[in-house]
Amino acid sequence: MKKLLFAFLLVASVSIFVVQAHAQVIVIANNSVKANEVSKNDLKDVFTGASTSIGGGNVVPILLKAGTAHEEFLQAYIGKNDAAYRAGWRSLVFSGQGTMPKSLEGDAAVVEFVAHNAGAIGYIGKASPHEGVKVLAVK
Amino acid sequence: MRPASSKLLTAGIFAVLSASIGLRAQDFKIAKYDVQVHGFGTQGYVKTNDNNWLTMNTSGDGSGAFTDAGLNLGSQITSNFRVGGQVYDRKLGKLGDWHPLLDWATGDYHPKPWLGFRAGKVKTVLGLYTDSQDMDFANTFALLPQSVYPIDLRDASIAHLGGDIYGKAKLGNNLGSVAYTAYGGRRSDNMHSGYPYLLSGIAGITLNSYGGPVFGGDFRWNTPVRGLTVGISRLNEMITGKGSYNGFLGIPAQPNYWEKSKHDWTNQYYGRLVKQKFHAESEYRRYLRYQTIFSGLSWVETDVRGWYVGGGYTVNKWLELGSYYSHYRIFPTGGAGVAASYPDAQTHDFDKAVTAKFIVNKYIYFKAEGHFMDGNGTALYPAGFYANVNPNGFANNTNAVVLRSGFSF
Repeated sequence: MKKLLFAFLLVASVSIFVVQAHAQVIVIANNSVKANEVSKNDLKDVFTGASTSIGGGNVVPILLKAGTAHEEFLQAYIGKNDAAYRAGWRSLVFSGQGTMPKSLEGDAAVVEFVAHNAGAIGYIGKASPHEGVKVLAVK
Repeated sequence: MRPASSKLLTAGIFAVLSASIGLRAQDFKIAKYDVQVHGFGTQGYVKTNDNNWLTMNTSGDGSGAFTDAGLNLGSQITSNFRVGGQVYDRKLGKLGDWHPLLDWATGDYHPKPWLGFRAGKVKTVLGLYTDSQDMDFANTFALLPQSVYPIDLRDASIAHLGGDIYGKAKLGNNLGSVAYTAYGGRRSDNMHSGYPYLLSGIAGITLNSYGGPVFGGDFRWNTPVRGLTVGISRLNEMITGKGSYNGFLGIPAQPNYWEKSKHDWTNQYYGRLVKQKFHAESEYRRYLRYQTIFSGLSWVETDVRGWYVGGGYTVNKWLELGSYYSHYRIFPTGGAGVAASYPDAQTHDFDKAVTAKFIVNKYIYFKAEGHFMDGNGTALYPAGFYANVNPNGFANNTNAVVLRSGFSF
């Protein structure tokens, strides 16, 4: 029984590791966005409301409501968990200095919105289809 | 006036209803424009071992007369133009008293990163937290350092009716970026705030208006050290208060009382470092006010100097710990009707605070905080301790427990 339990835990651990190793996030933008790449600092500034432009052009950040890609994006580029991240945006909203970015349910909705809205920039899972948008390299 | 218990019940019902709605920001459309609805609310409890604090009856069983809430509507009309407004209400002991206010209402046009314009009733940028001091959900502490952000004097600097010019710009040579704000307008205090309440208790003065022109600015540098921001703010104002005086201090009564500031300014210097799970900040504020009082018969000067050093650490996604040391000193002088000197305990308040913040989820949290205060700062200007609710005088030192829960969406 103990061996069975150990084996189960081992398989579960490996599965988690495998899922995490494969889950990655890419940054996408509307084709009107001139930049083809963005620095980590600039990306963080846009997605925390500190900046509204990339490469001299206005951009509008779009968020995922939740999910693996959302959590990975926050961890990789913002350095906050979801609660702290949204609290930061609400501070701007409640002091009259910003509008909460639109949050969408799922990668397909983000791709659809970014493709059809000038200046939109978002993030999705690497494996998700993303026709009609450009991928920004993060340097 | 409704009994205190029913107001507490109202606040509790508001909190429960908001939680049951799902605590999600609501969106709807007006014509083709998306309108967002956001809100926040807090409920607190304060218990002191001595002295009643912040106009609450805290020294007995403690007080739950510590509630606030805000409701916000906003719309991004175009990529460069945004409109919005917010209503705010609070009960802090005898202050606020459930008189809702228009907290802010602005049109904001931002054509370039380095140039934007806001007009309407605008939150004032002064130091790190003046414009966001109500955002309890975003702060580590249940009470911001009172030497710089006195919660009883929120109205003194929270907003102005006028306009701002603002912007940000990146500096070359990897020198970081700078942000500026310049503003002008009028200040108009809520009569349910600390200063009018103080005057009613110690001087027999009932104010019915307090405000005047204000102008100032803020400049901050996001330095090349990632996460380090330093800055400076300046506020100038010319404030007039009007009301009546009942002769309490021996000067003949004045049915058309007025007071007017001749020099009235604030300098504030600040720095903040945010590194992953850790943040530290420090600010120094000097508020100098020289004013003519008793309709020109006397004068008073209050030189208020406050500073703090504090910080916090995010242990995990449910727990944040923090602490600060807050140092408040007042140097009061004045003419007829004003005491020539004050005991040392009345001219300072040194406060050591420790906090634990528990984050339930992205909407709800609660905080537990201890305060250990040396001094009561009661000389001539509000500093949290009011004679109105301490009729037997003041103890020199006060310890306090502050519990505060809240939500935002």
